[in-house]
Amino acid sequence: MDDQTLAIGRRQFLAGVGKAGVLMAFPGFLSACGGGAEDEPATADTAGATDPGDPVDETQPPSPTAEPTPSPVAAADPLRVGLLIPLSGNLAAIGPELQTGLEIYLEQHGGALGGRPVELLVEDSEGVPEAGVRKAQRMLREGNVEVVTGILSSPVALGVRDLFHESRVPLIISNAAANAITREALSPYIFRSAFSNYQPSWAMGRWLGENVSDAQVFLTAADYAAGTEMLEGFRTGYEEAGGSIVGEILPPLQTTDYQPFLAGIADSGANAVFAFFPGGDAVTFVQQYAEFGLKDAMPLYGPLGLTDPEQILAAQGPAALGIRTASTYSSELDNDLNAEFVEAFVARSDGVLPSPFALQSHNAAQLLDVALGKLDGDTSDVEAVVDALENVGTFETPAGAFEMDPATHNPVRPFYLLEATQAGEGSVHEVVEDLGPVADPG
Amino acid sequence: MPDLFATYLVSVLNGVAIGVLLFMMAVGLSLIFGLMDVLNLAHGAVFLIGSYVAFDVAGSGDGGFLLAVAAALAVGLLVGGGLAVCLRPLRRRGHLDQVLLTLGIAFVLLNTSAMVWGDDFRSVPAPTALQGSGALLGQSYPVYRLAVIVIGFVVAALVYAVFERSRLGAILRAMVDDRDMVDALGVDTRALTGGVLAAGSGLAAVGGVIGAPILSIRPGLEWEVLILALIVVVIGGLGSVKGAFVGALLIGQVQSLGVALLPEFAAFALFGAMAVVLLVRPDGLFGQVATG
Repeated sequence: MDDQTLAIGRRQFLAGVGKAGVLMAFPGFLSACGGGAEDEPATADTAGATDPGDPVDETQPPSPTAEPTPSPVAAADPLRVGLLIPLSGNLAAIGPELQTGLEIYLEQHGGALGGRPVELLVEDSEGVPEAGVRKAQRMLREGNVEVVTGILSSPVALGVRDLFHESRVPLIISNAAANAITREALSPYIFRSAFSNYQPSWAMGRWLGENVSDAQVFLTAADYAAGTEMLEGFRTGYEEAGGSIVGEILPPLQTTDYQPFLAGIADSGANAVFAFFPGGDAVTFVQQYAEFGLKDAMPLYGPLGLTDPEQILAAQGPAALGIRTASTYSSELDNDLNAEFVEAFVARSDGVLPSPFALQSHNAAQLLDVALGKLDGDTSDVEAVVDALENVGTFETPAGAFEMDPATHNPVRPFYLLEATQAGEGSVHEVVEDLGPVADPG
Repeated sequence: MPDLFATYLVSVLNGVAIGVLLFMMAVGLSLIFGLMDVLNLAHGAVFLIGSYVAFDVAGSGDGGFLLAVAAALAVGLLVGGGLAVCLRPLRRRGHLDQVLLTLGIAFVLLNTSAMVWGDDFRSVPAPTALQGSGALLGQSYPVYRLAVIVIGFVVAALVYAVFERSRLGAILRAMVDDRDMVDALGVDTRALTGGVLAAGSGLAAVGGVIGAPILSIRPGLEWEVLILALIVVVIGGLGSVKGAFVGALLIGQVQSLGVALLPEFAAFALFGAMAVVLLVRPDGLFGQVATG
């Protein structure tokens, strides 16, 4: 009974926080949801349009005030973009990074995507599928969004899949990494700007297999879908490169004490460990891995997420130094686009460096911008939008060349071998090596 | 291949460290439950706030950790006292109302802590004198955890002495058995109940400080810890210091040695152990109803 009380109370609480979060994050949204004509100019002000009309209804003739253009949708009509991110719940610490990444791209490009000024609607997914689906429905029905991006966690991504598939509204997932999103659950209307769990793990496996000749690797990951997918990706890449795996152990999520698992790893005879734990688990695991003296005997490797985002790396402290990860991004990547991105991010974050979460959301905006640019911002034909996204070509991002794989709707992008190194009082993800572009096999 | 026996012995020792940490959390919960029939769902939030106090205070040099313990104790006593004041008007209402009040207070505390300390993950280093690892039976083992064992036993001995060996303890034990009778004898049970609530919360907050270097501090930790403490209370029996101690050590072993022996059952072991204890002794190992 007591557990029951607790569970119900928590759900209600989270729902309440969700509402509060939306109110705080986007004060104009509730009024925009009403759809009343008098509400519209308020949200359109920032976009600089005087009469937005109905941006998706192609049956209406162009409004008389609009510039004469060949497309039925005037270029100055605002593009309504939905951003679905966790602002409450256990993932609340990471959600805002996705918003910052997207906003930086907009700021760098005059607040427009594909030539159309953007009206951004932010909704709180609470990091759970039920709330995510509810909020996505609201965006589609009442928010009149033409495209949606965001989505941090895979359960939410898989939860909203049918909704977007059936309503034929393009969704650019900017973090959720479950392989299934761009495999079994693939929809023509869903794309991903981040990566699949397979990609970084496979890249790490191949690198270890090719570069550490006598490696005996032990695998460990939190016992949930992403954990097992990461291990599977690693196993594929590593065994293709001729490596041998000596053991595997899957501690439950939210394990507070890893000692008994670490004892098993210490006894395994391995000389390297590949590990993946999310969020707070990553902090606990990495710290205890060092505390129990395994770090010196068995170097720790992982996919991005083991030491991301920067708040996790900071919380891990000296225990993280020397850990190598295969990642889509590091703030230390040396190119002009990244320098601009880091500068813009740091200015908004009290000095915290951007993580892959922020970059991948920036990628989502860039993907939309380039694709919609080819259509002069015309989103009236969703099949044309899908076609433009699939054949977007290669473009340069702060994390290197980005290419959309039309078969999987998953990006082909370079992965980087990073090492957590001391920098001043904290640590950064130093770039060790470019592992080259990696695609998901689908 | 290192000696398997040594590996398991280290796991046993580790289970003791985890167990005494759980005891600090569970004993307050158990006594409050025994005395007031109220499951204090704000207990986990107090633990988390203790951890955050450690994060703020303990980082500042060597004396910082002791200062953090004192500060957390003060905060815990204050919150517990406030909780007692809030619960008083609900004295004649049903248990559900009282439990809901503690849940509400838990959310207020958690939102306050989120506003003060944010949603980020935090970690607290062990005091400098206790940092690093020592060799134990050929295995590397963190010095801090050994210190936790010592601290935990000292705390347990103190609580035991007060509860089982003092006049105050005798009154408290009598209150667990029949509160109205003790009331009728002219003892101010309201003040005592409030005192136990304050002391139990203080101990939970101190547990938060002691546990901070072992656990990573984050929103959500409060419920994980609360559920572990609940399991300890259920296994040990309500309102019993002995029960909380034995229950905590047992859960520590299940979490440590049990997982080392059967890692694939890690997720299940905890609740499996609880189910077995409840099947054999429905009121817990030292439950008042069965033995009293």
